Amino acid sequence: MRGNVIGYRVMAYVTGVILVILCILAILQPFTGDEAAVNVLGTTHGILYIIYLIAAYTLARRLRLAPGPTVLMLLAGTIPVLTFVVERRVTHRYIEPQTAAGRLDTPAGTAR
Amino acid sequence: MRIARPGPQWRFLVSPRWLGWHLAAWAGAAGMLALGWWQFRRAVEGNALSWAYTFEWPMFAGFALVFWVKTIRDELHPPAASQQPASGAELPATAARAGTGPGTGGGLPPGTAPAGEVPAGDDEDDEELAAYNAYLARLHQEARGHGKWHGLR
Repeated sequence: MRGNVIGYRVMAYVTGVILVILCILAILQPFTGDEAAVNVLGTTHGILYIIYLIAAYTLARRLRLAPGPTVLMLLAGTIPVLTFVVERRVTHRYIEPQTAAGRLDTPAGTAR
Repeated sequence: MRIARPGPQWRFLVSPRWLGWHLAAWAGAAGMLALGWWQFRRAVEGNALSWAYTFEWPMFAGFALVFWVKTIRDELHPPAASQQPASGAELPATAARAGTGPGTGGGLPPGTAPAGEVPAGDDEDDEELAAYNAYLARLHQEARGHGKWHGLR
């Protein structure tokens, strides 16, 4: 469980940061004409997102999240900045209560 | 997460909320496969970058379907009882006419909500019900043992 949490949070930040850089580069591309950087970062984000998907989904299962929050958690890796918002929300709302209570295998998100 | 209710186990699958989910999952997977095919054609035409996406999109499509299957299996708690809803063919029409899709809550047509059954969309703000569901789920989990999740460690 602890490993899941760390894995998810690391992947959320890495994927999120790369995605933001990718977006900035993509916006600047018409001006810089630098296609290679966007291509490399795009592929990198694609591969990292797969790892993020696995990490996030595993954690969502461990936390017993309902499908709604789970989908949001998974899609967050594709939308710039949303990764950070969702990671914070997941940490505060689902991870911390369960860690504090020491009950890591009880159901969490019953809402939706 | 909801608990198994009285009545046929698969009944929830034809509620408007779940029909919307089936549609979204399959449409999403089909769309991802289409994107993968598009990337494959681009790759064949000489766009080297597209090879990565050619394999990525089908993976995402597969993941969407795995996720879809898991949501259903989670809902059908006793896995042995997961029979196909073949005899429920008349129900989707009734349910689809409600046309609400997931997340709208309430408004289940009379035919799809037998007496005593909790409508799928109504538990969002009901903390007492949520707490009771959590309690039931915990009891169920304790009775079933913890083995299932340990494989994911």
